Order: sequence, then structure tokens, then C-alpha cells
Amino acid sequence: MQASLQAKHNSGAANWQTRLREWWFRHRSLIGFVFIAPWFAGLIIFDVMPFIYNLYLSFTDYQIGTRGAPPWIGLDNYIKIFTEDKFFSKSMYNTVYYLGFSVPLRLFLAFFIALILNLRVRGMQIYRTLFYVPSVVPLIAATVIFAGLLNTRYGMINQLFVLVGIPPVRWLSSPDWIKPSLIILSLWGFGAQMIIFLAGLQSIPQDLYEAAAIDGGGSLRRLRHITVPLMTPTIFFNLLIGVIGGFQVFLQVFVMIDTNGGPLQAGLVYMLHVYNKAFRDFEFGYAAALSVILFLIIFFFTVALVYSSNRWVYYGDEESNEA
Amino acid sequence: MKLSGLVRLAIVLGMLLALGLMPAAAQSCDGEMINLEFMNWWGAAREAYMDELISHFQAENPCISIENQVQPWDNRAELLATAAASSNPPGIIMTTRPETYQFAMSGLIIPIDAFVEQHGTDLSVFYDGEIGIQYWNGELYGLPMPTAGGLTSLFMYNKQLMAAAGFDPESPPETWQELEAMAAAITVGDPLGVDVLGVSPFATDTDFVNWLYTNNGKYVSDDARTLLYNSAEGVETLEWMINLTNTINGGVENITDFYQDASLPEGDHPWYDSELAFMSINTSHFGHFNVNRPELYADTSYWGTMLRPYNGENPEATHAGVTGYGFSGGWAYTIPKEHPPEMQEAAFKFAEFIGTHELGGCAFLFKQGRPSPVKACNENQAYYDVNPYWGVVLAGLETDTPVPITPVQGQLAEILRNHIEEAFFGMKSAADALNDAAAEGQAILDEFWAEFDAGM
Repeated sequence: MQASLQAKHNSGAANWQTRLREWWFRHRSLIGFVFIAPWFAGLIIFDVMPFIYNLYLSFTDYQIGTRGAPPWIGLDNYIKIFTEDKFFSKSMYNTVYYLGFSVPLRLFLAFFIALILNLRVRGMQIYRTLFYVPSVVPLIAATVIFAGLLNTRYGMINQLFVLVGIPPVRWLSSPDWIKPSLIILSLWGFGAQMIIFLAGLQSIPQDLYEAAAIDGGGSLRRLRHITVPLMTPTIFFNLLIGVIGGFQVFLQVFVMIDTNGGPLQAGLVYMLHVYNKAFRDFEFGYAAALSVILFLIIFFFTVALVYSSNRWVYYGDEESNEA
Repeated sequence: MKLSGLVRLAIVLGMLLALGLMPAAAQSCDGEMINLEFMNWWGAAREAYMDELISHFQAENPCISIENQVQPWDNRAELLATAAASSNPPGIIMTTRPETYQFAMSGLIIPIDAFVEQHGTDLSVFYDGEIGIQYWNGELYGLPMPTAGGLTSLFMYNKQLMAAAGFDPESPPETWQELEAMAAAITVGDPLGVDVLGVSPFATDTDFVNWLYTNNGKYVSDDARTLLYNSAEGVETLEWMINLTNTINGGVENITDFYQDASLPEGDHPWYDSELAFMSINTSHFGHFNVNRPELYADTSYWGTMLRPYNGENPEATHAGVTGYGFSGGWAYTIPKEHPPEMQEAAFKFAEFIGTHELGGCAFLFKQGRPSPVKACNENQAYYDVNPYWGVVLAGLETDTPVPITPVQGQLAEILRNHIEEAFFGMKSAADALNDAAAEGQAILDEFWAEFDAGM
């Protein structure tokens, strides 16, 4: 009797354990949800909710000091942006000019340096560290340093130019040179992209290169037919992040030039215009509308890039994988 | 024993005497303590002066504690806007005139007329122009300190550069024409632009308005409803500024480069190195000069002070300064609406101390060698010891003309500045620049007044 009860008990416990294991197996994704819950809460509280509120404000005449619900004005802010605001188009032009040059140049530079740092050379760890260190310098510090370097009269760059007989460049005082100066500054922090490229390069199987070498493929051919195609996912990622960041350029101009964007507003980038509308003119509703437009533009570019990636980004031989 | 008793008595009397002589800061508060955060921009050497002012105030008001929160200039607008609009703003805020008007319009700060009446504050101690510009829509929102005047009417000049160019260093230029002739003789170029600069009109709305008034022009009508700067005087002024910049200084970019990273308060400026002959100043520059280069400041064979030259070819023109335009337009100490009445009253007491008390703004500005908006403070003869050109400073204050502005002044200034820049860069004529700016600015001004009148 005693043994029978014990067996029944053991059998019940085993069933219970089995059921628990099965339940856990069926709901194993729950643990993932638990782990991402803090991030998800942050996303909702700090991104989604402000975004929705910002969207709402963009349809209002929200001024500093408004208590209670701000006056609803429908699409007035948007109409004003597209019909009356000459700094909208100017700041958008400056921003697109900036990212049109800075993003490809930075990608190219980061990729090129990553290729060099991927070589098997003695002391390579030191070189990698040296190239990455500038990325660790805070952007504001780098900007201040560049402002000194680019000073027309006392900056090191112009002093060198004069020494070798090149006419000095008015980096920060000429409307023609402000955007190139910002682009040069943007190249400074290429280290983060370089590291991603380097990781991508190291994940390319060596046997592909060996096979190409056996078939007589030289360095350039290997680069063109193996490295670049296999690096397209990394290039795509860096391009996407670069475009998004390029549209949001602000700090460099704010620190190195001024809130007006320098002579003839040559450096008036879009985010600076948003900032001026919010914190100089205290037109928060209008600034919110400008932000929404920027969001839509970035969204459009992101979707376009993702869509285009089907044509040029190589994600592996999916058909053979399925087989 | 008797001697010992006398000694003890003497000690007690001494202690009592000492207590009597000690500043009232030692007094304790017998009521509820009120803590005020004082948001201000009195940084650099002025921070210590402000601390001293606060200690004097607290000595007289032991139940009010002031926390001196000096703010950085970077992100100023952002800091101020978020602080003022928050549900827990600072107890008292140092605001520029456009900000005072904006916050008053938005209902973020309170008018102080009731406190003035309740405390019997004598507003007649201020220059009329100084207190006058702190009113918005008929209500007073702050007491001034420092002056809004004296910011544009004065120039410092370098006597050594004048003498080297063959001019009498004790006879600074009176007119535009004299200034131009001297600047042409003094200015020296180099491959990187300008090495020694005579004088520089700036491609900004502020400098244009400053020069405009020395050509008998006006920025706006007295009721602040009509922009007037695109007058014949305005066009003549801008043409003169551009012509001088192009012919003597080699273009506007040279000027930007010359002043790149220059800072008088931080002691890094061509003025200190005898590379600049005539420099438009505001009265804070005396203090900065004295702090950074005391030996040079004391040497009056190096520098002098003069009034801003006027257009000698315009018989109506004379020396003139502008009050209430420019960046600050007249600083004031404003009281946020969010706080309970007892905090607001404490804030007013502090504002009143800053504005009118001998140990307040009066002493604070004296230490910097700059004038006070309180007339009596400036009559202190000791000013001549602190500032060797005090007589010129007072004469400059006399020439100041108040400029009426509105809460949309920031936008109007931006429009004017942008068009002036285009004229300096040769993209349009002076007349077109001013006409375009006036047309654009007037539309904003009309819209503002239409809304304002509708809300009345």
C-alpha cells in the first residue's frame, strides 16, 4: 500500500514536471519578452509617447507658457512651412548637401581604412586602436579642436598652406567653405563605422579568397568580386545609419559656427532651424511640425534604402540554404 | 576678584559690541525660511561680486536665502525657455528685454506694480529710459540692472596706433568721415586678411541700427508698429558701412576672420595686442579690460574712450546711442508666476535690492566701472578712480535713444540681419536689402499687432 502510494506520488510529480516542461517549451519566448521589457518600456515612454505628443503639437499653436490644451490650428503650421518659410528650403538644402557628401566620403574612408587594418601586419592591434581613438573623443571636443584648426588666421591648416604657398582658405567665414568644413569635420569620427566594417571583413571566409587566388584572381578582382559583395550588408547598415545621422546634424554647427548658421546661413542645417524656432522664437508648435516633416523625410529615405537593398545587398545564397 | 569682574564685564561688553557691528547675516530667521533660486548670467569675475551682493541682501533679509545659479552662455535660450516654462521655475530670473516681453505675453511672469506700490519703491531713482523699457502693455515686469544704455554710444580707441599713423591721440574722430580717414591710415593687411584693423562695421542688424541713429535715422516708429529703417538715412548708413568694409578692410570675410575666437571677457582679443584702433564697446568692457589687463587699463596713454562718430555730412546727425535694441535690450529681474505669493514677494525684495539698494546693483556695477540705471549711483565721484573716462561714459548715456520693440523682435532682427548680410556679400544693393527686410518684417509686425489688438 505504502509502495503503491509512493509510486503514484512519484508518477504525479513526474507528470507535473513534464507538464511544466511542456508549458515552458510552448511559451519559451516569454523569457525573451521579459528581458526586452525594460527596453520596450523605454521605447514607449521615451520615444513613442513623445512622438505622438509631438505629432499632436504640430497641429497646434503651442507657444511657450501655454497652459492647458494649446489652440488647435490644423494644418496651418505645415502650410506656413511650405509656403512662407524660406529657411525651410534653405536649411533642407544645406542638410542634404552635407549628408550627400559626408555620408559617402565617410563610408569610403571607413571602408578603406578597415581594408588596410584587415591586413596581417605586425603591430596591427596598435594601428587599429590609433584609428579608433578619435571616435572616442566626444563630438563637442572634436568640434572645438576643429574650430581652432580651421581658424583662418591662426589655424594650423592655413598656416601650413601659407608655408607651402597655397592661398589660405576662409573655412568658417566664407559661405562657400562652411559646408565643406562641416563635411571635413564629419570624417573625423569614422572609427565607429570602421570597426563595423572590420568585423564584417573578418567574417568573410578565407577559403573564398584562396579559391579566387588559385583561379588567378588578383587583389583588385578579389576586392571587387568577393569583398565588396559580401560586405554589402555592412555597407547598407552603415549607409542607413549615416543617412539618418546626417539629417540630424546639429551640434557641429551649433558649436563651430552659430545659431544663425554663419554667413548667409550657409551652415543653417535643418535641426538648427528647428532649434531656432523652438528656443529662439518660442514657437514650439511650429518646431514640432518641422520635426514631423524631418521624420517623414528620414522615414522615406529609410524605406527607399531598405527597398533598394533587395537589388544590391547580398544576404547569402538563400535558395541553396533552403535546399 | 574685582579686576576679574571688570575683565569679564569688558569681555561681555566687547561681545555685545561685536554683535552690534557684525553684519545682520548673523541674525537668525525667526519665521519661515524662503529659498530662492536666482537664475542669472553674471559669470566670470562678476560671480564673486554677485555673491557679495547676495550676502548683503541676506544680511538685511535673514529669512530669505538666495542661491546664486550662474548659467553658462551655451544653450542659453534653451535653458531659459525650459526653466521659465516649467512648473517649477527658478524664484527669480535675469531676462533680456525681448524675453521679458515674451514671457509677459505668455503669462509666465507677473507684473510687479502691486509690489512696487506695497513696498513704496521709488521708481524715480531710475533714468526714465531705463525703467521705461521694462514696461510691457502698461505694466512693469522687472527692475533694470545694468543699464540698457551705454551699450552702443561708446568706443574705445588706441592712442598709440593713432599717433603712429600721424594723428593726435587726444583728438579722436568725431564724424564718420574722420573715422574713415583714420581707419584707412591705420589698417594694415597681410596674406591672411587684416593684421591691424582701424574700425569694423559689422554685417549685423545690431551694428546697422547703432550706426543708423548716428545718421539721424530711426528703426521703428514710436508706437512700435511701423519699421522705418529703410529710409534715406538707413540706405545711406548701410552703404557707408559696406563701402568702408570693402574699400578699407578688404571685405566682410576679413572682419569675420579678424575677430574669430576673439573674446574680451576671456582676455583674448586684438584690442589687448594693439591690433585694433577703434572698437565699439558696451560699458561691461571697462570691467573686462581691467580684470584681464590691469596694467594696460591703468595706462591712459594706451587707450581712450570716445563717443560713437556721426555722419558729418548730415546736418541733423549727432552722437547717438541706442537703448533697448541689441541682444539684451535691457536686462531685468523677473518673477515667475508659478510660485506662491510669499516667494514672489521675497523675489521682489531681492529684485528691489538689486535695482535700487546702494549695496545692490549700485556697488555691483561700480566694481566693474560701468554705470547704473540708478542716477544717484553714477554721481559717485569715486567712479573716476575706477574708470578714467567716466565723464565720457556719462556723456554717452546722455545720447541714448530708447527703441521700442515687441515680443517678435527676435524674428524682425533675424530678417534684417540676413538681408544686411546679403548686401555686405554684394548679393543686393543696400536699398534693396533694407526694403526687402522692411517688407518682410512689417508683415510679421502687422500680424503680431493684429493678434494683439484682437486680444485686447
